[in-house]
Amino acid sequence: MSRRLALVLLAALCACGRAEQDDGKVHIRYLASPDVGGFSKVIIERFEKANPGIKVDMIEGPSSGDARENMYSTAFMAKDDSYDLAYVDVAWLPKFAAQGWLRPIDDLLPPERAKEFLPGDVAGSTYQGKLYRVPIQSDGGMLYYRKDLLEAKGIPVPRTWEELAKAALALQTPQRAGFVFQGKQYEGLVCAFLEVVWGFGGDLLDEKGEVLIDAPPSVAALRALVDGIYERKFIPQAVLTYQEEEARNVFQEGRAVFMRNWPYAWNLMQKEGSPVRGKVGIVPMVAGPGGKGAATLGGWGFSISSYSKHPAEAFKLAEFFASPESQKLAFMQGGILPTRRSLYADPDVLRAAPHMKDLGRILAGARPRPVHPRWPRMSDALQIHVSAALSRQEKPAEALEMAARELRAAVR
Amino acid sequence: MKPDARAGAVNWLYAAPALLVMGVVSLLPIFETFRLAGEFHRIAVDTRFGPVMRTTLSLTAVTVLLELLLGLVMALVLWSPFKGRGFVRAAVLIPWALPTAVMAMAWRWIYNADYGVMGDLLFRLGLVASPQTAFLADASSAYWAIVLADVWKTTPFMAILLMSGLAAIPDELYEAAAIDGAGPVRRFFTVTLPLLRPTILVAVIFRGIQTFGLFDLVYVLTGGGPGGRTQTIAVYVYDVVFRYQELAYGCALTVAMAACLVLMTSLLLAVARERRTR
Repeated sequence: MSRRLALVLLAALCACGRAEQDDGKVHIRYLASPDVGGFSKVIIERFEKANPGIKVDMIEGPSSGDARENMYSTAFMAKDDSYDLAYVDVAWLPKFAAQGWLRPIDDLLPPERAKEFLPGDVAGSTYQGKLYRVPIQSDGGMLYYRKDLLEAKGIPVPRTWEELAKAALALQTPQRAGFVFQGKQYEGLVCAFLEVVWGFGGDLLDEKGEVLIDAPPSVAALRALVDGIYERKFIPQAVLTYQEEEARNVFQEGRAVFMRNWPYAWNLMQKEGSPVRGKVGIVPMVAGPGGKGAATLGGWGFSISSYSKHPAEAFKLAEFFASPESQKLAFMQGGILPTRRSLYADPDVLRAAPHMKDLGRILAGARPRPVHPRWPRMSDALQIHVSAALSRQEKPAEALEMAARELRAAVR
Repeated sequence: MKPDARAGAVNWLYAAPALLVMGVVSLLPIFETFRLAGEFHRIAVDTRFGPVMRTTLSLTAVTVLLELLLGLVMALVLWSPFKGRGFVRAAVLIPWALPTAVMAMAWRWIYNADYGVMGDLLFRLGLVASPQTAFLADASSAYWAIVLADVWKTTPFMAILLMSGLAAIPDELYEAAAIDGAGPVRRFFTVTLPLLRPTILVAVIFRGIQTFGLFDLVYVLTGGGPGGRTQTIAVYVYDVVFRYQELAYGCALTVAMAACLVLMTSLLLAVARERRTR
């Protein structure tokens, strides 16, 4: 008996690696967030029907992206073939590619076919001239506004930072904040901040990779945010504790006039029972003096693991998920934004969601964060100093000076 | 084989599984950390290291001190007999028994700017201007928010350790002191405190090491913000290894962290020995 137990334990110890199933099929494994809406399962069913030799194992992991990034990193660091595909965020891609964890797919998805996708999503899937990802889900920051409140006072939809501030001041009440965004010290802060910087005509890096974040336009952008909180007071100080969901909750409960957020919030706000249902509009983020409103590009896609034993089958699945039919299904059932340009003009899609036309415009102008393998360190330098300025520990100019110094050290 | 040697061999055999597990999960990682550590020179020029170290050290000093004072009071109260003591003892332990990540989530709600109970409480007491105070949005209040949550969680642990020390003090000493005319306060300072010193030392070292490596509470409550003000060394090492993929430097920071702890502990022990020999 005890010998048998020992054997079982030993087997369990050895089974740390991946067990091969003996159903004669090729198994393709990947990790994703919980399949809300169940559309991934439907797509996988269709795929398996069309490809009887392949079995797809989707692992529904934690909904936190950071947690999934860690799970992927850990598996890849160990050169483990646990995952054939990785469902990769645009922010992880350079790091993963630089480590050699991902297989370039230029041979499988040539440029003439990559053109069918939104340019930002392709740029975000490219690292050092090579394509590493099939774009599946597009994402970009934008400005939500309360249509009903603006119309009631006859205020036009703001297109500049100044108009935003004035409209927010005119419409805010003690119970309703003017403008909310993601201001906590985390990746989301960088996304929100970069949109304002771009709007003011600044940038993080120039084409040659030189750091520009301490230049006057960026400083003006940061000062505008700090003043918005403490001087003009149309941004509540609580934004320093907000991530996406905190901001969305406040806005959805009707306690904010304007909000910067990702497209996912739209579907939730249009749901039955939402206090702001039918009262919300979206536009690209406003511009400051000398700039043009811009969106930070987010977005997800499938990369093939370098350690996968079945890259061809894995690509087949990625391609299937990227097909117009699958993307349409994911959008209709889960609100997942397509990466194919054609779908933003698709009659079915537009009939179900007329705002997709506006969204297509926003996403077409979306700009990626710098594609750099040391992006997490760069992002942290920016996060910490922008957050320090927003909490008045540092002045905007000195905060960005220090951030720039750390960025230069990181880029080198 | 002699019976003694045979018994010894059997004993080792019994201990083998435990030793094996210890070796695999504890010694091996430690060994690996030292093997992988490198780029130590970067610590000197790392602009994050200074602030992170300052935050960690001050957080450790402040929380352990507060916990010691409160824990001592708690231990003395729980040690003296009163009705329902068993229940109170159990109740006091609840914060310590909660998983940190869970209780940190609860504290995040308590401190929440829009509906948090802390703002409401302090507003009713007239201490803040509005019930919608964003405690985690301000650098120093975020720091104290973490101190409060940590003290709340770990003071019971301190109290338990100190109670074990109280249990070891013989009643005769108190009786003798009472006969000599010492009041309760005098008895505390001449009997309890000196005899409790070894326990206090152990408790402080224990809690000091734990707080120095504080991770989960900060990670959940503030993520190190605002402006990096609440970032501890453990959170930074996590970032360096898992997010920046700088394994060698992360291990170097871990080694530096361990060195700090060894230094801190030996300093405490030296001070204690000094006082004892005097």
